[in-house]
Amino acid sequence: MIVGKNIHKSFGDLEVLKGVDLHVKPQEVVVLVGVSGSGKSTLLRCFNFLEMINSGEITIDGHTINPKKEDLAKIRAEVGMVFQHFNLFPHKSVLENVIEAPITVKKMKKEEAKKLGMNLLRKVGLEDKADVYPSKLSGGQKQRVAIARSLAMEPKVMLFDEPTSALDPELVGEVLQVMKQLAEEGMTMVVVTHEMKFAKEVADRIIMIDQGTIIESADPKNFFENPQNERTKQFIQLVE
Amino acid sequence: MPEIFVTVFDVFMRTYPGFLEASVVTLELTAIGVILGTVIGLVFALMKISGSKILRGIANVYITVIRGTPLIVQIMFLYFGIVEIYTMSNFWAGAIALGVHNGAYIAEIFRGAIQGIDPGQREASLSLGMNRKQTMQRIVFPQALRRSIPPLGNQFIITLKDSSLVYIIGVAEIFSLANREAAQSYQAFESFLVVALYYLVLVMIFTFLLRLYENKLDVDKA
Repeated sequence: MIVGKNIHKSFGDLEVLKGVDLHVKPQEVVVLVGVSGSGKSTLLRCFNFLEMINSGEITIDGHTINPKKEDLAKIRAEVGMVFQHFNLFPHKSVLENVIEAPITVKKMKKEEAKKLGMNLLRKVGLEDKADVYPSKLSGGQKQRVAIARSLAMEPKVMLFDEPTSALDPELVGEVLQVMKQLAEEGMTMVVVTHEMKFAKEVADRIIMIDQGTIIESADPKNFFENPQNERTKQFIQLVE
Repeated sequence: MPEIFVTVFDVFMRTYPGFLEASVVTLELTAIGVILGTVIGLVFALMKISGSKILRGIANVYITVIRGTPLIVQIMFLYFGIVEIYTMSNFWAGAIALGVHNGAYIAEIFRGAIQGIDPGQREASLSLGMNRKQTMQRIVFPQALRRSIPPLGNQFIITLKDSSLVYIIGVAEIFSLANREAAQSYQAFESFLVVALYYLVLVMIFTFLLRLYENKLDVDKA
């Protein structure tokens, strides 16, 4: 579904990704872990072309993307992204947040979009907040709206960039629950997170990134019980 | 009652029909200065944040020149530079000068507001498949506009007061009337006190309307 080949990315002199290869299969849930600064968020942002790779190749749904020649908006429409800080549009109501892109990008009729939006809000358990503005929501509610907003574009793959890191501990569960449900429905997902319990329960594969390269890639059982790399072992000890 | 109040009152009563008429001119100058300034300001703000070096350069030159020279010089420059070549009334020369002058300041207000919007807003919009134009029109600019309103209101009040400077090219707004009144009646102190009151009242009405509008925006957002 989403394939990265030999991805290199630098910010100035700092090389953040040093030749990353990643192949995410359809319906697979891949969790990216690593210490902060390891490059995991950058990798995610490269898949959505919010960061441009310096070299390498990104293929989405069998289509290799040349970012210089193609309409990036079209590609991004197929790749959903959920941000650490939600980034809801504060000047729009919850429902307006969700239906903005279907109406603007897909030219969907407003009535149809509203129906779709309400269905998605029901799915994340927030249909009663449709007309409320984001400032009135808790962090967990905001993030669930952000997920609904992404799903409204019917993406082929969803990227989650530390979706629960900005949340109070008691609000983390409701967001993870929605993500788990999405995974069960067969959504292809790439998730950067520090929630090891979520990784254990939901991930098909856990990938450890360290200093810009993938150093471990295994199913959750092997990842936690039988890590190969020394730094993965240290990391697991730290988080367990 | 002290003598001064009596004479000020006399001047007020004698001049108010003229002042009401001239107030309309002052408000027209202000309105044109504000509208033209906002349009120019928006265009130059977008040029200044654009990817094109040429557009950014043009915007920088415009803003630097306008902010670096006095309004009264710009009024004279426009008046003698343009009215001489094209047929244009004094009023329009003054109004355009006010608009061009304001445009530079308003451009900076818009630029600051646009750049002050959290980059996450732009990223979220782009990640949903919206292109750069849609992102600016639907997500970034509406938020920037709300933030611009207090400084814009401030700029509008400055425009109202600055409109007095076009008296130099003989536009019949309230300051030029006060000036004439002072010269004719030898009651300079009273005349300028009266005109000061006119400006003060106009600014207070303006401020009140702006506050109403800001409160309305806050209510909408909540």
